[in-house]
Amino acid sequence: MATPTLDRFLSSIADLVKDRDGARLQDFLQLEPPLPDIYQHMSAELRQRYPTGPKETELLRRCEALVPRSKGAPWGAFSTFMKLYFTFLRDVNVDNLLETYDLLKGLLNQCVLALGDSQMGVVVLPTVLYLSKVLAKLAMGLDRRPELIAHLLRLEGRSNQEEAAEKVTLVEKSANVVREAFIKCLTDRSGTPGVHGKPEGRRIGIYLMANLCLKLLFQCGKLRNAEQMFASISAQSPPLTHFPASQRVTYLYYLGRYLFSNNLFHPARIALQASYDQCHHQAINQKRAILTYLIPCNIIMGRFPSSHLLQRPEAEGLADRFLPICRLITRGDYIAFREHLTVGPDTEWLARKGILLQLRNRCEILVWRSLARKVFIHGGFHGDPQGQAQRGPPPFLYLNRLEAAVRWIQSQHAQSQAGFFTPRLQPDSQAGQTAHGSQIIYKAPDWDFEGVDELEAQEAVASPALLEKYADYLSPDSFFDAQGQPQMNAPGNLVDGPPAADYQQYELDPYANPTPGEDGKPTPMMRELESILASLLTQGLMRGYLTHKNPRLAIPGARLRGAVPTGFPNVWQTIQARESEDDNVPGWVQPPSATALAGGGRVVNLAGARPVGVQ
Amino acid sequence: MSNPSQTSDNKAEPTQQPQPQKPPVLEEDDEFEDFPVEDWPQEETEQGAAAANGTNNHLWEESWDDDDAAEDFSKQLKEELKKVEASH
Repeated sequence: MATPTLDRFLSSIADLVKDRDGARLQDFLQLEPPLPDIYQHMSAELRQRYPTGPKETELLRRCEALVPRSKGAPWGAFSTFMKLYFTFLRDVNVDNLLETYDLLKGLLNQCVLALGDSQMGVVVLPTVLYLSKVLAKLAMGLDRRPELIAHLLRLEGRSNQEEAAEKVTLVEKSANVVREAFIKCLTDRSGTPGVHGKPEGRRIGIYLMANLCLKLLFQCGKLRNAEQMFASISAQSPPLTHFPASQRVTYLYYLGRYLFSNNLFHPARIALQASYDQCHHQAINQKRAILTYLIPCNIIMGRFPSSHLLQRPEAEGLADRFLPICRLITRGDYIAFREHLTVGPDTEWLARKGILLQLRNRCEILVWRSLARKVFIHGGFHGDPQGQAQRGPPPFLYLNRLEAAVRWIQSQHAQSQAGFFTPRLQPDSQAGQTAHGSQIIYKAPDWDFEGVDELEAQEAVASPALLEKYADYLSPDSFFDAQGQPQMNAPGNLVDGPPAADYQQYELDPYANPTPGEDGKPTPMMRELESILASLLTQGLMRGYLTHKNPRLAIPGARLRGAVPTGFPNVWQTIQARESEDDNVPGWVQPPSATALAGGGRVVNLAGARPVGVQ
Repeated sequence: MSNPSQTSDNKAEPTQQPQPQKPPVLEEDDEFEDFPVEDWPQEETEQGAAAANGTNNHLWEESWDDDDAAEDFSKQLKEELKKVEASH
């Protein structure tokens, strides 16, 4: 039987391969429905002339003829790929999406192998990208609507197995195939490799493949798999700036998100800001996606979005998400802040974007700074207002004022909780009432461990002082054993084993254990507040020192600038000054600068060098 | 589909400019959309456009400390601290 359509198609493919026209080759190799008629004809011809079975060898033979034979080893991977393409056209049944996925993945795998050819590989790069996109689209679609293939998975008995072992989703499998293509692009041996190279040969595909792979990895939540990609890019890629804007912006967006999710907010901010700056000014949706991470990144680093930014079209809806958080940080009500960022339906959006926990965990310290600052303003000693007393004490704050403020906040929230309109529980308002554990963070008692303190006291090891005190009883010189025979005892050997630590019943001193709190010692809450302030001081978000006895925060050196600006410096400037010592963004390859070349090349001019000690 | 082999030397045609997009929907897809064009010059970037239009580039507030003593929380806190002061 004649196959006129297939014949013409094959001859066109042969010409395209000879001309190395990758773009048109990709254009020819369509497979997404709805396909033009010509593909339907070809599919019918394939079914008749080359059905499954021995006839396929003939088909492969015809595909082998597509490859130019003139130079070097034949491009066998391409012939196999073409044969797979034809069998895909022949067999695909889009009613079975799982089977379609598997066929497509096999096809892409083979195409990636063809991409590996040092001479011809680059010709299929557009096809690899096209197939990767189709596969990604299918995998992500099925990921969102798992019911489409649930019955198929059950039929094949895959669902149970996969749930037992660590589940490798279709999205992750696709990411793994795309990563192979990425590696083929990155490791092209032609031209100059690394930072001095240009996007040539397969390298032009580095960021196209990386971006697609990152999209899939973010979708399936396997960010750890991206780490190796970024490391390889840092080691082997030409500078990002040589690549087209769409690839740069997309890559910097994913890189920024990756760094953000690893709590590397400073490099994340640099990457995301660059992504925003380089984005096309009309690409509202992309700019909005970038802002979704750029804004929390800045908030965590102590900088809030301006009203001007929030009025931009791409920021629509973002003000409602982020402004309340900024206001709560400024206010200093830590319970309201925690309440606002509790995991629940109201924070579902933040959680889905992967920014909830970072905001909650990283910004609370800023809330405490605001509270301490306000308490200092309203309840602290600000120094001699006349500035005359040269030897007067520095400005300071008695920490019991802060403690009073915290107890007041707790009581306010405890009251509002009882109210009719706020049925939601604000458990942190109870923390100050608990006898054990944190006075700031409420933890419900675990009944399984009730009375454990007493148990511990009994089981704990007796102190050396106690052993010493009762040595004549606990480790006598001699004793009678179980048979009633007198035995000599080695010095210090405890005849009845270690005694309980709680030896109170033997203690004759009724005042040995005074009730805690009555001796003028700071309360447990004070100890916790001291830790929080110490953390603020360590991070440079507050300046001064703490006195532990009679707890105070002192702010020395405030005569010139005033107590508040000295004790509570600008958050953003403080963090930025510390972080900008290293502006390197891991994963972002920069062009080698002149200075870096001098340093990196280690070329040192020794003309003026003299031996040590010679005048 | 964008063609990677024609990237660097083929600047976007004016006709290929991205159309002004629909306003974002709140429950939008979490995906980062593909750009409709491969490359664009500096003037068409966010940064370039802002510089050309002389638009306000004040994007971030560095000073946000709340010194408004009349604000509700501050006012109540102040009252509360006065009480503490009086009791000492």
